[in-house]
Amino acid sequence: MQTVDMQQLKSGEVNLGTSIMAVQFRDGVVVGADSRTTTGSYIANRVTDKLTHIHDRIYCCRSGSAADTQAIADIVHYHLQMLTQQSGERPTVHIAGNVFQKLCYENKDALSAGIIVAGWDKDAGPSVYNIPLGGGLFRQPWAIGGSGSTYVYGYCDATYQEGWGRDETVNFVKNTLSLAMSRDGSSGGVIRMCVITEDKVERLFVPGNELPKFWEGEEVLKLIAPVKKRHEFTDDMAVEV
Amino acid sequence: MSIMEYNGGSVIAMVGKNCVAIASDLRLGVQSLGIASNFQKIFPVTDRIFVGLPGLATDVTTLHEQFRYRVNMYTIKEEREIEPETFAALVSSTLYERRFGPYFIEPVIAGMQRTPSGSYKPFIAATDLIGCLNFAKDFVVAGTASDKLFGVAEGLWEEDLGPEDLFETISQTMLNAVDRDTNSGWGVVVHLLTKDKVITRTLKGRMD
Amino acid sequence: MNSVYSGPGFDFANTARNSFLESRGLPLPKATSTGTTIVGCLFKDGIVLGADTRATTGPIVADKNCEKIHFIADNIRCCGAGTAADTEFSTALIASNIEMHALSTGRKPRVVTAMTMLKQMLFRYQGNIGAALVLGGVDADGPHLFTIHPHGSTDKLPYVTMGSGSLAAMAVFESGWKQNMTREEALDLVTAAVSAGIFNDLGSGSNVDACVITASHTEMLRNFVKPNERVQKERSYKFARGTTAWKKEDIRDLIITEDITVIREGEAMDIS
Repeated sequence: MQTVDMQQLKSGEVNLGTSIMAVQFRDGVVVGADSRTTTGSYIANRVTDKLTHIHDRIYCCRSGSAADTQAIADIVHYHLQMLTQQSGERPTVHIAGNVFQKLCYENKDALSAGIIVAGWDKDAGPSVYNIPLGGGLFRQPWAIGGSGSTYVYGYCDATYQEGWGRDETVNFVKNTLSLAMSRDGSSGGVIRMCVITEDKVERLFVPGNELPKFWEGEEVLKLIAPVKKRHEFTDDMAVEV
Repeated sequence: MSIMEYNGGSVIAMVGKNCVAIASDLRLGVQSLGIASNFQKIFPVTDRIFVGLPGLATDVTTLHEQFRYRVNMYTIKEEREIEPETFAALVSSTLYERRFGPYFIEPVIAGMQRTPSGSYKPFIAATDLIGCLNFAKDFVVAGTASDKLFGVAEGLWEEDLGPEDLFETISQTMLNAVDRDTNSGWGVVVHLLTKDKVITRTLKGRMD
Repeated sequence: MNSVYSGPGFDFANTARNSFLESRGLPLPKATSTGTTIVGCLFKDGIVLGADTRATTGPIVADKNCEKIHFIADNIRCCGAGTAADTEFSTALIASNIEMHALSTGRKPRVVTAMTMLKQMLFRYQGNIGAALVLGGVDADGPHLFTIHPHGSTDKLPYVTMGSGSLAAMAVFESGWKQNMTREEALDLVTAAVSAGIFNDLGSGSNVDACVITASHTEMLRNFVKPNERVQKERSYKFARGTTAWKKEDIRDLIITEDITVIREGEAMDIS
């Protein structure tokens, strides 16, 4: 669907070359993200929190320019605070999505922001909205975004099923992000997740050394005949052990 | 070639013992073509402040007028003469106001600053073209020969030079630096400030 | 001459002329940049900020001992990297606004307030104000440390580096930082990080400036370490008086002397 166009970012701009995700389930939503922020090839922040609080039960996942998405999230946060004070009730995820979409669409020429809004509200229960680069607004049962997402569309399509509970959904998000982070150079670090339900927002954290592991190539090595020991080669021979 | 090199010209200021000196070349050119050998780049601001404005000649004139206007307004409003440090801040903010459409000038300021005890202490400063101040304890340089001036001054300058020794040091620094710059030269003028005197000397220099 | 009134904000009057000159093959000149190593680090009771003291214009060292730790408030300081004029003026502007804000609210300023003001200003200018900042301080909520990038994005971390020497400095932090350090440990680590920048990054050099901010006190340690002091010259390079030939001399005496000459004796005043 959408990826962040790296060329579109101004030189030196801080980039969330990201893997982000949100999945709806029976009682709520799970949002997740990697933690890598880059300027070119340098990792400016390896423990970034890309899951941004928008309202009590609404979070967003940010991808694209860090400056743009932070500014947008701050503005939406402000609008929702005002709205809450004026109407006396919590805004719905749909409203939050619309505020995001308005900003992203009307300033599409100046922004590079791919945002996923997710949360729980009284009207719709759990919901996930995707706002890709041009400023569209799409409700989806699950959404992935950022540069890492391109690698895992197939996995998501093959794996996702309706009617999951909390734990299955958390595992799905964890596995998807881990796969995306391993393939995408501009994603990585740790996995941060939020489980948003009617009662609470639960924050989950997976350290970089405890990410779900998939096939990493060990078996291939076992198939190859054991390599000769170093001393068996003559000294002046170039060796690759 | 950058706009800063279009008309040529260089300025240097140095601190001495209870004195300061500021010197510039006198060339006005259009790229490699020499136009005049009497182009003033250093201007008096008050009795005890001089400002050197190397860079694009059209902006030398414009900025000189701008500073004259602003210093006059300051003098009228405050009913006192402006001090070098205050003038440096004025120069800096005047240039930064045009951050996104700058004047092509890198001002150098030299003056004697009045201390609370009523005596005077030497003051020099320089800014880049958008007004970033550089307060140095030794010397500041600007213009097309700035690289050369940096090198020569770094070698020749020493602490606590009296007015006459400072004159020799700044003059030799300037003369020898501009001799290695195609866009500066054609005569040098030096202003030497002490607590009670301003000496202006026009040097004998190469005219090629 | 310009009109007498000069409004607030930037003046773009020269931009048309300058872009014309640029189009005629005269590229815009370089401004002074601080090719810098700036760092910040959290410790047990506060924040330590550190900076080198070199300012450059291209390959030339413009200032060997400049100040890169700027004042924001008594309890907040900000290190600046990038375009020197931009860091100088944006921190000065926010320092002023913070003081006004503190005066109008009657409260001690918070670090997040300064951070928000800076990021919103830098975002508004879309990266054209080239200020890369490390903001640190201690307020009612405890110690805070932020980096602010020129486009207006911010990061909150326990140890941060910025500028061209940031990689060298971060290498020191990544290997040496631990939680709950003492003031001395933190100051040593910051010094080591800035020194890594000074010695390994060409854009950074000269001395280490440091600033320790705790809840009760802010201590600015200007030229905390001077590892690159110039040695005494082996001889004097004074010229003999009269080396320089001059053509014209004008001496202006600033001492105004006034001689009062009595023309004739006056008659004594009648005081009877």
